[in-house]
Amino acid sequence: MLRVLKNPVVQFLAAGFVTVVLVLVATARLSGTAAADEAIEDAIATTELLARSVVEPAMPPGLVAGDPGALDRFDRRVLSRLMVQDVERVKIWDTHGRIVYSDQTQLIGDTYELGPSERAVLASGSLEAEQSDLTKEENRYERNSGGLLEVYTRIRSPEGEPLLFEVYYSAADVEARRTEVLAAFRPITVGALLALLALTTPLVWALTRRLRRASLDRERLLRAAVEASEAERRRIARDLHDGVVQDLSGTAFALAAAAREGGAPPPALESMAGSLRESLRSLRSLLVEIHPPDLATIGLAGALEDLVAPAAAQGVEAELDTSGLGSLDPGAAALVWRVAQEAVRNVLRHAGASTLHVVVTGQGPSGRLVVTDDGRGFDPGEARDRTRFGLRGLAGLVADAGGSLEVSSAPGRGTTVCVTVGGA
Amino acid sequence: MRTITTTVSALAAMSLSLAVAAPALANDDDVIRRGSCSGATDWKLKASPEDGRIEVEGEIDSNRDGQAWRWRVRHNGSLSARGAATTRPPSGSFEVRRVLVNAAGTDTIVFRARNPRTDEVCRGVLRY
Repeated sequence: MLRVLKNPVVQFLAAGFVTVVLVLVATARLSGTAAADEAIEDAIATTELLARSVVEPAMPPGLVAGDPGALDRFDRRVLSRLMVQDVERVKIWDTHGRIVYSDQTQLIGDTYELGPSERAVLASGSLEAEQSDLTKEENRYERNSGGLLEVYTRIRSPEGEPLLFEVYYSAADVEARRTEVLAAFRPITVGALLALLALTTPLVWALTRRLRRASLDRERLLRAAVEASEAERRRIARDLHDGVVQDLSGTAFALAAAAREGGAPPPALESMAGSLRESLRSLRSLLVEIHPPDLATIGLAGALEDLVAPAAAQGVEAELDTSGLGSLDPGAAALVWRVAQEAVRNVLRHAGASTLHVVVTGQGPSGRLVVTDDGRGFDPGEARDRTRFGLRGLAGLVADAGGSLEVSSAPGRGTTVCVTVGGA
Repeated sequence: MRTITTTVSALAAMSLSLAVAAPALANDDDVIRRGSCSGATDWKLKASPEDGRIEVEGEIDSNRDGQAWRWRVRHNGSLSARGAATTRPPSGSFEVRRVLVNAAGTDTIVFRARNPRTDEVCRGVLRY
């Protein structure tokens, strides 16, 4: 379960789901606000229409005074025209807070105190809308209505007296409009998010796979580097023991024998000096292998000379051509050096070659190196020894620097390593 | 408020003014008055509850088709409705129906009809 949760694709989908839910909640709230505003606007417009087109023209003289016949006539004229759609209650008040008319006839004649906003509308003739306070006594018949929106405006009786015309609308209509607005927006918002999720999920999945593969490659390369380092140390120790140490031991024995005998003839001394020089050369080559030379001091050409120098001792005829080499930038020179070091080392250790050609050309940021041998070669398509990751690792390094590294080989036909840096 | 007239009170009223009105009940909430006009015509007045209001039905029965009458309904002394009607077959009668606002206290409803040609007058009264 924990492993599934750590999966980036699962995490992405979970984040997407949370986003969809958040968007749904946000759009529901926004659409609720928009629907409420729209419903209030509609209620205000309807109230204005009812006041001017229905109530005022139908109001008979004597209604405000409470004349029963006028009340009957007015009720018969307007009731069915007022109680339309979501209108829940209608009241007409005089300036003293007496209900002159209502569709709820039991309210007619009751008197309640008018609020400040109602008195202000009576004075100004404007329109007001507000949530009804259902705890008020005047609203006792609407307490189970689930919420009302009341809109009121001023009208005038035939006698010219200002009256407050109040219409109550069901809050269910606001909810219905909210649902309507939400239904219009939901397919756009949610649909777009789901489409985005559907499109990006395969990309995330592919990216995750690629990253995982790259991570595994890095681990493998790191392991190989560590193993190669171990092998290299073992090889250096072996080379020292089998080569220089043996030579120096022989020279030491010879010198000790000469000392015991009171001297040695000049040819013998010359042979011992030659042996010491050979040991020195071997040690210098070893130093070059162990630690990269200071290219800035001795230059790439000099370092390459030291690199190919041990070839002669192994019976390999080495040829170094640096005639086309100018002054390479330090970065390009370091890269060419590292590839040359690996390629030459491979030739001397594994190729069994009789000739080795190293050609370097280039100037400034661009350089080109070609290392060719006539050794046993190999099939590039075959799986290689895990310890021989050197050139593969360097290929990645060269590619990162914007260059390319190609290895051409076939069994029995030698190997050519060609590296280009800086677009040479 | 509305007054529900019981069968006992209706019978008592009928016995007091038998020549003018004969009350009867269709159901517990209805009030019906009947009576004779100044000629050979009969009238009937009925009041029933109607969603917080009073439904009033006035009927003129002359047994003659084609008679033109003018009628009016007064509510607590104030003119609530008026109009003209003609008696029609098969019974030679007409009926008018109006809804009145049920005012606080007892409502007095008067249904009056007059035949302009014969000058016959019908007048029914009920309290509700």
